[in-house]
Parts: sequence; C-alpha cells; structure tokens
Amino acid sequence: MEKKQSSIAAARAARRAARAKENEANQKKASKKGKIQITLGVLLFIAIIITGYVLKVNVSSKSALMWVFGISFGVTLQRARFCFTAAVRDPALTGSMSLAKSVLIAIGIATIGFAAIHYANGDPSTAKLAKGAYYFVKPVGLHTAVGAFLFGIGMVIAGGCASGTLMRIGEGFMMQMITLIFFICGVLLGFANRPFWKDKIFFKPVHFPKEFGWVPALFLQFVLLFLCFLTVEYISRKRKQKK
Amino acid sequence: MQEKELDCLGEACPIPLVKAEKAMNTLEVGDLLIISIDHSCAMKNLPEWARDNGHNVEIEETGEGQWEVFIEKCK
Repeated sequence: MEKKQSSIAAARAARRAARAKENEANQKKASKKGKIQITLGVLLFIAIIITGYVLKVNVSSKSALMWVFGISFGVTLQRARFCFTAAVRDPALTGSMSLAKSVLIAIGIATIGFAAIHYANGDPSTAKLAKGAYYFVKPVGLHTAVGAFLFGIGMVIAGGCASGTLMRIGEGFMMQMITLIFFICGVLLGFANRPFWKDKIFFKPVHFPKEFGWVPALFLQFVLLFLCFLTVEYISRKRKQKK
Repeated sequence: MQEKELDCLGEACPIPLVKAEKAMNTLEVGDLLIISIDHSCAMKNLPEWARDNGHNVEIEETGEGQWEVFIEKCK
C-alpha cells in the first residue's frame, strides 16, 4: 500500500517542480493572482450586501429576500458540488448513488416545508385555489413527461441543468455560456407558445391534499419518493454488476 | 510503470469521466493516469468513481479553477 501511494506522490512532486520552474519565469504574475482572488472575494461580498440593501430600499423587501435566497442557493450548490444532472445521470453512467440520494432527501425535506406553507395558506377544501400558495400548483400531464425527456437529453449534453449551468458560469466555465444562450432561447420560445399549451394540452392542476386530505397526500408523496429511490438503487446496482 | 496524461480542459462534466474510464482500460495495474480538468463537477465524480473501483486517487489544484487528478490503477 505504501509503495503504491508513493508512486502518486512522486508524480505529484515532479509536476509541482515543473510548475514551480514555469512560475519562476513569470513569478510576479503568479504571486499577484493569488492575492487578487481574496480581495475580489471580499469586495464581492460587500457588493452583495450593498445590492441587497439597495433592493430593499428602492424595490421591495421581497426582492431583497429573493436576492439573499438566490445567492445562498448558488453558494450551496457550488460548495457542495451539487448537480441535479449528475444525480439522475450517474446511477446509470457510473453506478454512483450519492447525488441521487441527496436529491431524493432534499425533495423529502422540501415536501415537509411546502406542506407547511400550503397548510398555512388556507383550507384546501375551500375554493381558494387562485390565492396564495395554491396559485403555484401547476397542471401536470403528457407535456410534463415530454418536457422532462427533452430536458434530460439537453442537460446531459450541456453538462448542467438550469441551476448548475448558472453556477458554473459564475465559476468561469465559459463553455456553459453557449448553454445559457440556448437555454434563454428555449425559455422564451416556451413562454411565447404558452397559450397554445395551456388551452390544448394542459389538464387542470391537481393538488393532492385537496383531493385526498393532508395525511394521505404526504404519505403518497413519500411512497413515490421511496419508489424512486428503489428504482435508482436498482439501476445503480445493475450498472456496477456490468463491470 | 507507465504514466498517461489525459487533457480534459474545457470538457463538461461526464466527458472527463468517460474518457478516464476508457483510458483506464488500456492501462496495466500499477500505472498512473493524470487527468487535467477545469470543470469543478468532474473533481467530485472522478475521484468517487475511481475510489469505488478500488484505485488510489489524489487531487492537486494546479491553478485557479484547474486541477490534476492522479489515479493509480490498483486492480
């Protein structure tokens, strides 16, 4: 074991030495770069706080809140190397389950949170569907399956879903700018054609708690999540056996 | 012992992994594969995949947003 470790260490040392030599040639440039990163980070942090304050004063508290949530979401995604694309792709590609599990757990936690929000926003048995949280219950149907399929192909080719693409542009991965351009094209096309889809394809929104009551709805949701987990586990195990 | 370098700079997430998997099949036990990446996502799933398969892995940041992943084939 020790001998094996040392072969990696030797290669690392050799490459580090080669890099150091290279850096010596343009040393000033290299040492400056490291400092700039910290300075920029501090400046950016201050700019984020100022922007949040300006949003609150000039636009609304809600915009400031959305700004904070957006930044937090991005930071979490980046630091955790969280990737929804990898979550659905890796079980089949490498047999890795870690991201798929974390997404399922995240949906589980979100279910509890959203249930609380919906519950606090009125009795589902009364006709309050147009108000509050119920307004955001979207219709499900064939278009969901077709859209999911197209989105799945797109995100695996592009190397990121919506949030992942945005996060990696922030990291400076330029190739994903191309993804963003076509992502915007797609969204604009979708919204332009939305009336057609709304009239011809969409069903009525289905709100589980309204149809079944709160406890059965939550139970159903968790059973479905568990079925998702079993499916992913099955795919992952099959993939690992193939090797 | 053989050392193979794989340049995956500018390649998005699954490509470095797929390339590494193919390169790994051409190597003997004890050989070293060095993959250059600049996609942060590959920094997570490459080592995870390699460790899952029982290889030795180390990562080194060679520049801002650039890494080298060292994988030693162990079986």
